[in-house]
Amino acid sequence: MRNYIIRRLLQLVPLLLIISFFIFITLSLTGNSLRSLLTSNPRITAETITKLERIYGMDKPLLVRFVYWFKAFFTGEWGYSREYHDAVLVLIKARMPVTLALMGLSFLISVAIAIPIGIYSALKQYSLLDYAATALAFFGMAMPVFWFGLMLMLLFGVKLGWLPLGGYSSQGMDTANFLMRFLDHLKYLIMPAIVLGLQEMASWTRYTRSSMLEVLRMDYVRTARAKGLSERTVIYKHALRNALIPIITLLMLAIPGLFGGAVLTETVFSISGIGRLLYTAITTSDTFLSMGTLMVLAILVVIFNFAADLLYAIADPRIKYS
Amino acid sequence: MDNREVLVDIKNLRTFFYTEDGVVPAVDGIDLTIHQGEVVGLVGESGCGKSVTALSIMRLIPNPPGKIIGGQIFFHGEDLLKKNEEEIRLIRGDKISMIFQEPMTSLNPVYTIGDQISEAITLHQKIHATEAKKRTIEMLHLVGIPEPEQRFSQYPHEMSGGMRQRVMIAMALSSNPELLISDEATTALDVTIQAQILDLMRGLQKKLGMAILIITHNLAVVAEMADTINIAYAGKIVESASAREVFKSPRHPYTYGLLKSIPKFTEKRTNEPLPAIEGMVPSPYHMPKGCRFNPRCPFATEKCREEEPEILELTPGHLVRCFHPIEP
Repeated sequence: MRNYIIRRLLQLVPLLLIISFFIFITLSLTGNSLRSLLTSNPRITAETITKLERIYGMDKPLLVRFVYWFKAFFTGEWGYSREYHDAVLVLIKARMPVTLALMGLSFLISVAIAIPIGIYSALKQYSLLDYAATALAFFGMAMPVFWFGLMLMLLFGVKLGWLPLGGYSSQGMDTANFLMRFLDHLKYLIMPAIVLGLQEMASWTRYTRSSMLEVLRMDYVRTARAKGLSERTVIYKHALRNALIPIITLLMLAIPGLFGGAVLTETVFSISGIGRLLYTAITTSDTFLSMGTLMVLAILVVIFNFAADLLYAIADPRIKYS
Repeated sequence: MDNREVLVDIKNLRTFFYTEDGVVPAVDGIDLTIHQGEVVGLVGESGCGKSVTALSIMRLIPNPPGKIIGGQIFFHGEDLLKKNEEEIRLIRGDKISMIFQEPMTSLNPVYTIGDQISEAITLHQKIHATEAKKRTIEMLHLVGIPEPEQRFSQYPHEMSGGMRQRVMIAMALSSNPELLISDEATTALDVTIQAQILDLMRGLQKKLGMAILIITHNLAVVAEMADTINIAYAGKIVESASAREVFKSPRHPYTYGLLKSIPKFTEKRTNEPLPAIEGMVPSPYHMPKGCRFNPRCPFATEKCREEEPEILELTPGHLVRCFHPIEP
């Protein structure tokens, strides 16, 4: 097991190299961002562009540029954002906590709602609540995120005035104690977190339900009942543990997806996190900033893939890595 | 046999399944008596209602779609069907235990076998975990599992089918039940392992003295073990007698057909095909009128097609449900 973990960690480096190469190629296909300055900025001359290209190394071949970038990336030099006039790493570091908090809250809310509903739906199959949960799940899956976000804002922000419409914290909170700051952030993040997690929540409900239904038909559940165990023990000890094995993988693999969703959610709720940073970077052709943020996403994907594999082995004793 | 006290007395048990395609009378009036310490065989083809009978005793019929709609199951004179869920739960796995056909899937893959056995022990005997562990290891030892201390912390997937069935037996016997129901417990195993498990069950029965209800489609299994044999067909018992009687002088044409279809090594080999019972088990949705065996019975008459025979005691202890029983 330990060897497996070490091997997997070592594999992360070449994996990230390959991923970053593809991101690099794809971004370079969007055109030379310096050349595009000619059309957007009337005061710039062709000579200045050529000069800038030499400074930024844009006159070098693609592969050479990539090698330079990767070396720099590896040593923590993630480049300079033209749009924000600041180092990419500094920008990302500053926005990381907000996005992680948003993703974490969204994940927790989704799990806390989806799994109990899924279990209940399976136990009371074809009951009124099962049908209601099914209908809500399809509603959640079909709902466009931006529209749902706007509707929540309209209801809870404008009409009822319970929650703030956007942002991340109230003014003057810097000096408040930890609990106050936490509650303040929670007030801002609760709506975007629900919006962000809605689709995952909906599909996890369905997955939990079907996984649970499948497990409840298993012979070992009958054995557990034949032992004389209470229905509670049969379901929550014997059935649930088995039903959750496939769900764990699903949950882990969905986390990077939440990052992708954060792009939209943070934009709708004007939260200045990494999602919005990526959005700005791409819309303004800020190459280094785009590369940096996309690499953060790539790292999240590989880490949570790895976490999924590890948790899978912990949850299911039949899985052994060597 | 009859001087022993009656342990289980099933009277006119009827368990139906309500499916989208119609009602399946899986068990339709089964009577069965098990005395204390007696080994009773319940034999029949797939779909004759033998497993459903077992699950009815345990009150483990999945509902929906199944439902026990009539009859009584007396256990020590008390009707199990009148007990509430909580009362029956305390009997399950304590006084009545059951082992199942599929040892590969009957154990929970995510818990160790020690965990799964001691769980039953702590539940029914209300003893401490360390004591339960000791008792579990004793049980593993009793069912012939080598190195029980090491096996205690193994998972089911680390064991063979035969070993898992031994674990199931250890679990079932851990609370000293008065009745062990074995539902095709050896069917999924290799013949050699099958023989070992049967040997083990026979040995444990002698040692511990519990009654066993052996459910099987294999007459050879009950031939060696059972005191009494009940033959079931299409949800009813058609013949019931001591094992000796059933094999020596079967009276019901169905039992007769079953016995004829067993190849005998003692007879001289001929090129004659092995005799088989003509036709198929009736569809549960369309049970034949009259005697349920009549479409396949070589002796069937007009009466058999119209009227359903009652089960009658032809000679002491030998019950047959037939208008034209075979003369001994």
